[in-house]
Amino acid sequence: MNSRKRLNHSISFTFLLFLSVIFLFPIYLVVLNSFKSKFNIVGSPFKFPNEDTFVGLENYANGIRMSDLMPSFLRTLIITVGSVLAIVIFTSMAAWFIVRVKNRATKTIYYLFLFSMIVPFQMIMFAMVSVCSKLGLNSVLGIIPVYLGFGSGMSVFLFSGFIRGLPHEIEEAAMIDGCGPLRTFFTVVFPMLKPTSITVAILNAMWIWNDFLLPYLLLGTQNKTLSVAIQIATQGAYGAIDWGGFMAMLVLAIIPIVIFYLFCQKYIIKGVIDGAVKG
Amino acid sequence: MATIRLENIKKTYEDGTTVIENLNLDIKDKEFIILVGPSGCGKSTTLRMIAGLEEISDGNLYIGDKRVNDVSPKDRDIAMVFQSYALYPHMSVYKNMAFGLKNRKVPKDEIDRKVKEAAKMLDIEEYLHRKPRALSGGQRQRVALGRAMVREPSVFLLDEPLSNLDAKLRTEMRNRISILHRKLQTTFVYVTHDQTEAMTMADRIVVLKKGEVMQFDTPSVLYNHPKNMFVAGFIGSPQMNFLDTRIEVIKNSYFAVSESFKIRLSERMYDALSLYRNKDVILGIRPDDLHINNGASNENNPEKISAHIDIVEMTGSDYFLYGNTGNQKITAKVTAAVRFNDDTDCELSVDTDKIHIFDKVSEILICD
Repeated sequence: MNSRKRLNHSISFTFLLFLSVIFLFPIYLVVLNSFKSKFNIVGSPFKFPNEDTFVGLENYANGIRMSDLMPSFLRTLIITVGSVLAIVIFTSMAAWFIVRVKNRATKTIYYLFLFSMIVPFQMIMFAMVSVCSKLGLNSVLGIIPVYLGFGSGMSVFLFSGFIRGLPHEIEEAAMIDGCGPLRTFFTVVFPMLKPTSITVAILNAMWIWNDFLLPYLLLGTQNKTLSVAIQIATQGAYGAIDWGGFMAMLVLAIIPIVIFYLFCQKYIIKGVIDGAVKG
Repeated sequence: MATIRLENIKKTYEDGTTVIENLNLDIKDKEFIILVGPSGCGKSTTLRMIAGLEEISDGNLYIGDKRVNDVSPKDRDIAMVFQSYALYPHMSVYKNMAFGLKNRKVPKDEIDRKVKEAAKMLDIEEYLHRKPRALSGGQRQRVALGRAMVREPSVFLLDEPLSNLDAKLRTEMRNRISILHRKLQTTFVYVTHDQTEAMTMADRIVVLKKGEVMQFDTPSVLYNHPKNMFVAGFIGSPQMNFLDTRIEVIKNSYFAVSESFKIRLSERMYDALSLYRNKDVILGIRPDDLHINNGASNENNPEKISAHIDIVEMTGSDYFLYGNTGNQKITAKVTAAVRFNDDTDCELSVDTDKIHIFDKVSEILICD
């Protein structure tokens, strides 16, 4: 039995190792090539940089200059932080209401949230861009409610699952202790939602930080976010692309979100499982 | 300090289920009232209606002189201890206890004094900075009591607060709650399905069945003079014996007769039984009122029931004898000083002064 278990473990380990390599290899190539001169990137992309090909941080300096990186970085940060905060606060409140107030209306709203998860963005993007532009949402702050709309389906789903598992008596105790609905939510319910809030924050932050299509359509090239800035910087006639700078910018773009993920990743599994099991 | 009055209270849920039809209760100031009954009898619903956590479909609820049907829980001047304790998991014990006072804008130093006083009374001073998850069940229960205590409410509501504790801790907490009631001098309304809790703690007990009050009286009245078979069966452990008998009058004496025994009844019952001559009734005898007859005639209890004992349970100071008389089940509680074996025949003498007789159809007490 033990040897069979060990064999199973070895097979799982090998499989997961293989998967990790497949996923990490492109990132490895990007980091590797961000330290090489542009001619060597195209010529021998897999080679480790040596004395002749290593250019130090030159690509990083070029990339930052070329893509107007800092303003784009700031815009992306504002959009991501603003959207994630809005999603966590508003969807947790919505989920609490849906779970605790059981009637036909809340049930319908819940299923609408779920339905929104399966509608592909491409299907609604042109109509949505047109409506959003007319409503004046084509700005750095204006895009936050749009992200709130897109992020709410999955977030309400995760929060509802978790809230269903919370004992109702705690909220009743808060009511007797003198809390109204808002205070009950913010002082008692919301702190208990911490694991799911972090999961929702991570999943949405990763998506919003890396999103290209929505900011490109809504904000255009005037208010570039990081992913749009990187894309625009690589445009040009064939051969004119600075691959070194491009790689360096990619590395810079993923660093904040990787740090955020590593900082909070222990909560992500707990949040997803709690929602799934208790839901 | 407050009286509680429930006037024609009705509770119907949205799906049309009526849990309580017409409940009337008058609870005196500083009284310790226990609502007891089997699952689904409406005892928790009644408590939750007093707390304001459940809407009242019809009738009036008064706390003191004020009608509180439409008053929110926070304005009813009540505190509640829940079965699951319902402590705030992200707050320390201190913050859990202080939360209600903080919401009511009580000055900080007063909160501190009250929390520390309650913690001292409940022996939880050393846990004040711990989170609830780092406490045992008994400690959590004490924190829940402390949280209710610091508020100094007019009414204390407790919903099966001991049901999650083990037997030993339950006894300890029972004593603590009784002492607490004496110290606080507040009206307590307590819900349980455990009749031992009810008998040991309450000033008066409300026995509920399907949302109806079966009897509302002191523990000793409930035990010695139950109004019906439901109360007689629910209060007391082991349960009262109910034996099918027929009332027969022989030479001006009333007898309760079955195929396996014939008991001469006490004279004081004759008037009440005059309408039941030659009719079937239910004879109620508590297991404590059956005694072992060691062959010798017992002057005080000359009436006997022949029984076959199947199983003998030793509980320490007593034996519980489970057996049959004729084809009817019978249980006796006898002192462990007499040695007894399984699967034996015996004669049980009956304390006729403590017999209860019930109407077979309505199950209401005829006389006792």
